[in-house]
Amino acid sequence: MPRWGMVIDVKRCIACWGCTIACKEEHFLPPGVFFNRVLIGETGKFPTSSKLIYPILCNHCEDAACVEACPTGATYVREDGIVAIDESKCVGCRACMIACPYQQRTYYDEKAKNQEYFPGQGKTEMEVIGEKLYPFTLGTVIKCNFCSERIDDGMKKGLTPGKDEDATPACVNICPVGARVFGDLDDPNSEINRLIMEKKGKQLRKEFGTEPAVYYID
Amino acid sequence: MNDNHQNLVETMFPSDGSGIKPYEWMISPTRQRQWIDDKGVFLWLAFFFSEIGAGMYFMSLFYSFRPGIVIGWLITLVLGGIIHMLYLGNPKRAWRMLMRPNTSELSRGIWIIGVFAVLGFLQIIIPGGFNMVFNFIMGILCLLIISHGFATMNVIRALPAWSSTIVLPLSLISGIWVGQQLLQFVFVLSGNSAMVSGMEVWSATFFLIYFLCIGLYAWGTWHMSDVAKMSIRKMLEGDLKRITLIGVGVLAVLVPLIFTLIMWGGNTNGFLVFLRLASVLAGDLAIRYLIMKTAVYNPLL
Repeated sequence: MPRWGMVIDVKRCIACWGCTIACKEEHFLPPGVFFNRVLIGETGKFPTSSKLIYPILCNHCEDAACVEACPTGATYVREDGIVAIDESKCVGCRACMIACPYQQRTYYDEKAKNQEYFPGQGKTEMEVIGEKLYPFTLGTVIKCNFCSERIDDGMKKGLTPGKDEDATPACVNICPVGARVFGDLDDPNSEINRLIMEKKGKQLRKEFGTEPAVYYID
Repeated sequence: MNDNHQNLVETMFPSDGSGIKPYEWMISPTRQRQWIDDKGVFLWLAFFFSEIGAGMYFMSLFYSFRPGIVIGWLITLVLGGIIHMLYLGNPKRAWRMLMRPNTSELSRGIWIIGVFAVLGFLQIIIPGGFNMVFNFIMGILCLLIISHGFATMNVIRALPAWSSTIVLPLSLISGIWVGQQLLQFVFVLSGNSAMVSGMEVWSATFFLIYFLCIGLYAWGTWHMSDVAKMSIRKMLEGDLKRITLIGVGVLAVLVPLIFTLIMWGGNTNGFLVFLRLASVLAGDLAIRYLIMKTAVYNPLL
């Protein structure tokens, strides 16, 4: 069984927000809800300051703090390493949201559901379709799932996640500069492992000991 | 900008700062919101009532005082329990919170409260309920419930202000102190002046420990890390400054100190006991509110 992971080359990222938008489109996310973000910060002081651009998403940690905190078992780690949520078990206590050091979870409540992209003009056709195609359950927590529907469907068709677009997360497909690479962390010959080894991939906030599956290289 | 555009901007990025700006998220220390803002206040109140109820139950055990136990049991389960349910997104699934005691602190807490509910009920209805074994078990359960809220917060490594080592002692003493104050007031209402007077030694002792724990929490958090220091700074800024000064400085510390000194040596007065209780309740709520409101995450970059 593979363990899915992602490598993000921060030197390549141009902060075009393609991943953020593709993700919103893929999951029909309402306004204010993001599974993918691009953080832009600065380090140092002029004239030696440098800009930091970090695309952020759920890290699908091996030892996930959210899984530990969840009192119902709604949040769990799948065999392929994807941290998933069984919304039928989620009680909406938000312990997972509090526990996540990366703050990549969102509580889906009436406020989030009722938001319109064009306030006062009703929901667009796209938003209405989205609620039917990709329904979220009120009072539960939602987050990035590495586009597990695409991965699962693609694998059933014999496709390889990370190589075939139909089996690869939307944020990886959309990236115009190829900053994102998706693949199997357990396969020593995979592209993702080669990049981690060669470019000394770093995990974000490794000190929390959650063993993230998202690596950053520069 | 026309009204629609204005609405759109306001929807995406409300002026209260609660909107998510994806590029600013977690760039600087970010305050936790889920367990204090909006419906999060229910959790703050739920922890408070569960813990002071258990504190009252705990103190009542030392006096084998059945009305105190009944009131403590009811506060913990009815007030604490109902408010806790109001917080949950799907309260009908609350039973599922019993499923993960091996990893989840929240789940362990639900088990403890469940056992407390059953054994407490038995202790209330059984005539010989105040025996040594029963009291010991219930005492332990009370202490676990008192520390449950802050223990749940304490295990969250990402929030330095909550993972301070003094959080648990502060939580324990605050539950016991407020519970003791409630019990003393119940004794006032029952007209048992000897008991009210006798309890004053406990009042002075618990207040002193409580005061020391508040000081140690502030000092320890300040010196813990830059992010933890920011939590203490936030307590002294904006609207929270007023809550810190009035809620903590005056109601949690100054007023109880003055009344404790006035009643020093057991010269108790029912009205002063009531005033001190009101002050202690408001002060303890303020402390808990501030600790929950000012917890900030380490930035990601």
